Amino acid sequence: MSEADPQANGFATAPRAHVRRRRSLSLVWVVPLAAALIGVWLVYKAVSEKGPEITITFKSAEGLEAGKTKVRYKDVDIGQVTAIELSQDLKGVLVRAALARDAERLISENTRFWVVRARVSASAIYGLGTVFSGAYIDLDPGPPGRPARHFTGLEQPPVVTTGMPGRHFILESERRESIEIGCPVYFRQIRVGEVVSYQLSEDGAKIVSKIFVHDPYHRFVRTNSRFWSAGGLDVRIDSAGIRVRTESLVSLLAGGIAFDTFAEHGEDAGEAREEAVFRLYANADAAREREYDERNFFVLLFDESVRGLSPGAPLEFRGLQVGKVIDIKTELDLASNRVRIPVVVALEPERITLRERPQGKTTREEMLASLVERGLRAQLRTASLLTGQLYVALDFFPKAPPARISPKGPYGHPEFPTTPTPFEEIGAKLNRLIDHLDRLPFEEIGRDLRATVQGARRVADSPALVDALQSLNAALKEVRELVRELRTGAAPELKATLEEARRSLAAAQSTLAADSPLQSRLNAALDELAAAARALRALADYLERHPEAAVFGKGNEK
Amino acid sequence: MEETGLRAPLPTTASEAGLVACEVCLLLSPRGRARCPRCGSRLHPRKPDSIPRTWALLIAALILYLPANLLPMTTVVTLGRAQSDTILSGVIYFIQTGSWPIAVVIFIASILVPLLKIAVLACLLVSVQRGSSFRPVDRTRLYRVTELVGRWSMLDIFVVTVLVAVVNLGAIATIQAGPAAPFFAAVVVITMFAAMSFDPRLIWDRCSGEKRDE
Repeated sequence: MSEADPQANGFATAPRAHVRRRRSLSLVWVVPLAAALIGVWLVYKAVSEKGPEITITFKSAEGLEAGKTKVRYKDVDIGQVTAIELSQDLKGVLVRAALARDAERLISENTRFWVVRARVSASAIYGLGTVFSGAYIDLDPGPPGRPARHFTGLEQPPVVTTGMPGRHFILESERRESIEIGCPVYFRQIRVGEVVSYQLSEDGAKIVSKIFVHDPYHRFVRTNSRFWSAGGLDVRIDSAGIRVRTESLVSLLAGGIAFDTFAEHGEDAGEAREEAVFRLYANADAAREREYDERNFFVLLFDESVRGLSPGAPLEFRGLQVGKVIDIKTELDLASNRVRIPVVVALEPERITLRERPQGKTTREEMLASLVERGLRAQLRTASLLTGQLYVALDFFPKAPPARISPKGPYGHPEFPTTPTPFEEIGAKLNRLIDHLDRLPFEEIGRDLRATVQGARRVADSPALVDALQSLNAALKEVRELVRELRTGAAPELKATLEEARRSLAAAQSTLAADSPLQSRLNAALDELAAAARALRALADYLERHPEAAVFGKGNEK
Repeated sequence: MEETGLRAPLPTTASEAGLVACEVCLLLSPRGRARCPRCGSRLHPRKPDSIPRTWALLIAALILYLPANLLPMTTVVTLGRAQSDTILSGVIYFIQTGSWPIAVVIFIASILVPLLKIAVLACLLVSVQRGSSFRPVDRTRLYRVTELVGRWSMLDIFVVTVLVAVVNLGAIATIQAGPAAPFFAAVVVITMFAAMSFDPRLIWDRCSGEKRDE
């Protein structure tokens, strides 16, 4: 159509146009073909890269945005959230995500998804990058399982993801001991693991925490290892001074768990297996303390006040701890006229090693019974005068009224005999005093005293004493006469002499006074003498220089 | 080239007069010459293969129009957060943020114009192929507008190019051209070529032919 007839008109001289039939298909069709190929390629790519569509249920879609939030594994984008909608029951959100084709291998029924947001805890800051980049969904593939398309997302990121070499252990404690998820686990102050989870046991009696210890360190968890809460500061004041100990600054703030193996805690039966159960002690000392499996419970009935006694108070035998107070019962038996307070104690007989067993007494009960026979009694004693804390002491009181361990009584445990505190102490002091008094030689002293008195009487009754007294009397009379004589005879003369002496002294005083004539004359004489001496010295000097003057007289050589 | 009034009787055209216009210097030469005596370019009474060529380019543009609009045009990375936008999502974004004028400009320049261009050319081609004599003046005007306006679609590409070059602040903000950009550029260029390869004289050929038949 576009072709017009070129031969209709023209110049004869001009070269004739060669009219060729064009190829049926213009080369320009390559362009749409190429475009189509590109389109097909794009479609193929989109289809081939399209992976599984999954649905994840979260409690909240905080930070998630359809079309923007990524699904990442090991920080590689493997998908994108395509839609967010409320679940049917309105209790959560359904997050739909389109994953890449490669992600097919990652997800299975065991896959766990969670949202990574910026999270600040005392021990670390996580996901700081998400502050700017927005939240994203992370996943942990988990062990292989059946394929799945619907998942329930975790609200907290799991501490340990699959593929991390190491071992899980379970710790049981009575209290939470300030453990948080993600809390560090230390072995000799080296961080070797984390707390994975903690929860109340089914019956609510204890806290069951799960920890994870990383690969090279899990071998240090032995069957006899001890775990303790290492949070906060361990301050101890003892004879060596004040000691402050903490595992690390992080554990100081966020708490933590430490473990170690102590030789005294039984035999090491190899590495602890996966998910082995351990007890979590409250502190290092408690963990280190030897655990005594054998405990004998007794009930002690005290007449006196137990104010200051608390469960956990030590049971001591001459200063050695042999057990502790377990419980102080509040039930009182008023029927039997005496009000006695039952205190349950646990005796840990393993704490005491017997060098040689008494002959014939094979069982511990029999031994104890024999000790009680010899006067072993329990007694309340004051541990500290300041705090008024009490402890239970076991000691021998040979003079205590005989008693024995009575079999299981109303409190479920055998009753151990006690001895009252204050009277016993006062009694003992009185006894000692009497002992001392006993030792004094009262008879001898009496005898000597009597002899002395008798001797004295004998002396007093003797005639010699009378004579002596009479002559003493005469002597005294003579002395008195002599004195009288002196007063009447010698006294006037003595007075005259004294007056004369006073006069001479006054004369001497007037002569020697500073303004007396004698004094001034004496001064003048002394001045003269001084002048004479000076003249003499001048003469001597002159003679020394002019010896001829002695012969020729003082010349006029000037 | 055709400068005839609508109501006026159609004057004799060059081809009817046995002349061929040079496509380059517009010199009328007698039919039968291979080259223009003035500028030496090849002479064709009409653009050769105009309709199949235009069709081919138009189809190619239509195919490429899909990825150009479905794939992201730009990827804005702000503080580590990447956000990819297609042309349409960009328009929606501007509407949502209240920037109506920008949204309108982008919508017209980047979505409406290429689409209308393809549609107009397709209509013209169909009408020419069917030998329609419907409003040849309007159709010619439409063609001119199409040819004139077509290049403005490159606006989007230029904006993206400038943004990529200017907004390059490392970690704070970076803009990257998305995979749609080359497709979009190809759509614009190919539609321009399609418009060029279309010979508007064909519209009048049919009209004059009809006139002659009558």
